[in-house]
Amino acid sequence: MKPNIFLRRTSGRTQGRASASTLLAVGLAAGLALAATGCAKSEDDKSGDSDGSKSSAAEGDAGQVVSSPGAGGGKSCVIGDYGAKKLDLKSATVGFSQSEKEANPFRIAETASMKAEAGKRGVKLLTANAQSQFSKQISDVQDLIAKGADLLVIAPLNSDGWEPVLRQAKAKHIPIVTIDRKINAAACKDYVSFIGSDFVEQGRRAADRMIAATGGKGEVAILLGAAGNNVTTDRTKGFEEQIEKKAPDLKVVFKQTGEFAREKGQQVTEQLIQSKPGIDGIYAENDEMGLGAVGALKGAGKKAGDVKIVTIDGTKNAVRGIVDGWIDGVIESNPRFGPLAFQTLDTFTKGGKVAQDIVIKDSAYTKDNAESDLGKAY
Amino acid sequence: MTDIGLGGRTRLDRDRLLRLLQDYGVHLGVAVLLLVNIAITPHFLSAENFRTQAVQVAPVLIVALGMALAIGSEGVDLSVGSVMALSTSLLSLYLGYGMWIALLVAVLGGAAVGVANGALIAYIGVQPIVATLALMVAGRGLAQVLLPQLKDVHDPTMASLGSGDLLGIPYLVLIAVALALLVAFVVRRTTFGRQLLAIGDSRPAAKLAGLPVRRVLILVYVCSGALAAIAGVLATARLTASDPTSLGNLMELSAITAVVVGGTPLSGGRVRIGGTVAGAVLIQLLTATLIKHDLPPSWTQIAQAVVIILAVYAARERGRR
Repeated sequence: MKPNIFLRRTSGRTQGRASASTLLAVGLAAGLALAATGCAKSEDDKSGDSDGSKSSAAEGDAGQVVSSPGAGGGKSCVIGDYGAKKLDLKSATVGFSQSEKEANPFRIAETASMKAEAGKRGVKLLTANAQSQFSKQISDVQDLIAKGADLLVIAPLNSDGWEPVLRQAKAKHIPIVTIDRKINAAACKDYVSFIGSDFVEQGRRAADRMIAATGGKGEVAILLGAAGNNVTTDRTKGFEEQIEKKAPDLKVVFKQTGEFAREKGQQVTEQLIQSKPGIDGIYAENDEMGLGAVGALKGAGKKAGDVKIVTIDGTKNAVRGIVDGWIDGVIESNPRFGPLAFQTLDTFTKGGKVAQDIVIKDSAYTKDNAESDLGKAY
Repeated sequence: MTDIGLGGRTRLDRDRLLRLLQDYGVHLGVAVLLLVNIAITPHFLSAENFRTQAVQVAPVLIVALGMALAIGSEGVDLSVGSVMALSTSLLSLYLGYGMWIALLVAVLGGAAVGVANGALIAYIGVQPIVATLALMVAGRGLAQVLLPQLKDVHDPTMASLGSGDLLGIPYLVLIAVALALLVAFVVRRTTFGRQLLAIGDSRPAAKLAGLPVRRVLILVYVCSGALAAIAGVLATARLTASDPTSLGNLMELSAITAVVVGGTPLSGGRVRIGGTVAGAVLIQLLTATLIKHDLPPSWTQIAQAVVIILAVYAARERGRR
């Protein structure tokens, strides 16, 4: 470094520019936001399903039922035990607290399903979205109670930390149904019932699909979800147990995390097909990673069907992947809790018996029904 | 360490050896990993494999180049991951006008974030780590407001940018190499590069010498923002989808790791582009090795931590010199 180079520029600087630049910096972000949306012209979605999720959620609702009547044969709950009063659902106000922002297909379909069912039944529905902040969800629910909700449906962000809300609801005798995640409290005492999917069972069904696709022989890889997540643990457990039990010749030779994201799923699969070119199947614990795997296989010059892919969730993109021949099966994780939630509340408030744990029926997509049921995917 | 027992000459040799190791340790690391993989990893020695590693490392490397400039000016740019997300959102929003317009808007968006970063740092005197942290949070938020959920990219030009190649070398790799050469040239041969290093060495001294400190700093963050935006575009092209929620997550840490492992001191005044390239490649190879051998994912994190600690240890020795 020669100092003379630095000395070449000796221009003085005006100090008054500081405030102007402050304004510039602050204004930039706002300006960018405005400019970005002002004249944006996004690419046409060829599939034309940009607003299809809502209609399809309503469409799919029709087929939603409880997984098996036997599942309800466990503990049940009646209104007397809970300490609430009978009321007519039609004239009641239901509050729905959504946990995460509606940025992924699951949450979009879930909220849409609640709204659609409330509309169908003519029930007044108040909704709130916690935007993935637990403290906001607590105050959301308290707001809903304050606004006069007679019944509550909660999609909890966390399982713990609900005591203040539960106490408040208890004081007002408001029945609570939680959907998709459980809260750590006593059923039929602190809340009425939980409606959700059985993730272990989803893993088992994915394993069945994989066994059918590969003929029960060969080597398969697992793209794990995010570490330390109960969905990941359960979907892995179900899959591995079922493979071990039903198809001992099918070996799991690779288990790496794709963190539920498409990009990670693609990167990991690229490494996988290089080091194990003979891999027969890939089990992705969500659709996004499965689609990433499809991208990696395409990039490596494989053909559709060379490697069997089974995923879980049932998003539109993945089901379209079955139609295209790249994905072999998609096990649905049903987000359409609306009908079941309202049905449960209806039965309960009329004085009927409802199960404390209700498992929602998840359907599945294969080559046979992918094309016809594409509209049902969310 | 004052080892009196050793003669002057031996100590000199040892110092030189240590310095060589510090300067070229990362290259040595890459070489060792390559040899180990050739020995133990099946199907490692194939063009396809090297292609995969190169394509995967390209976006990280491009971000790391910008990061190297920021670190060279005794700063840091934490907003790079969010800029990638922002760029993928903008790209998706403007793709209707064709790829080039969309690309331009995306890069301009990245540059705008850079101007905001630079202005906060140069004019208001906010610490780089705080200023860019603010933009990191704001950028990700803005990206998700613009594009709330993943959207597929159908544009054929984008798809070919992501998976096409020229004479067998993927476009992504060519672009990354070209940018690395460009940044290396800028750092070594241009007035801006010299000024940047002088400011990184000592901002008061640079000021006294009459350098346009503020302008250079803004330009540094504009470069970093624009490079991150390019990386965002390339990552989008490869994925053929815009995913502002997860694209670029923790990218700032990967980039800083590549830069630091590559021998660029966090204290500024020095930028090693060759080392940064090697640093990015080292992390990529390390991750690839662990994934290919199906070791538990937590091992990858531990291995990365070990590499970072080794690099920081080397940097400490360098500081003492």
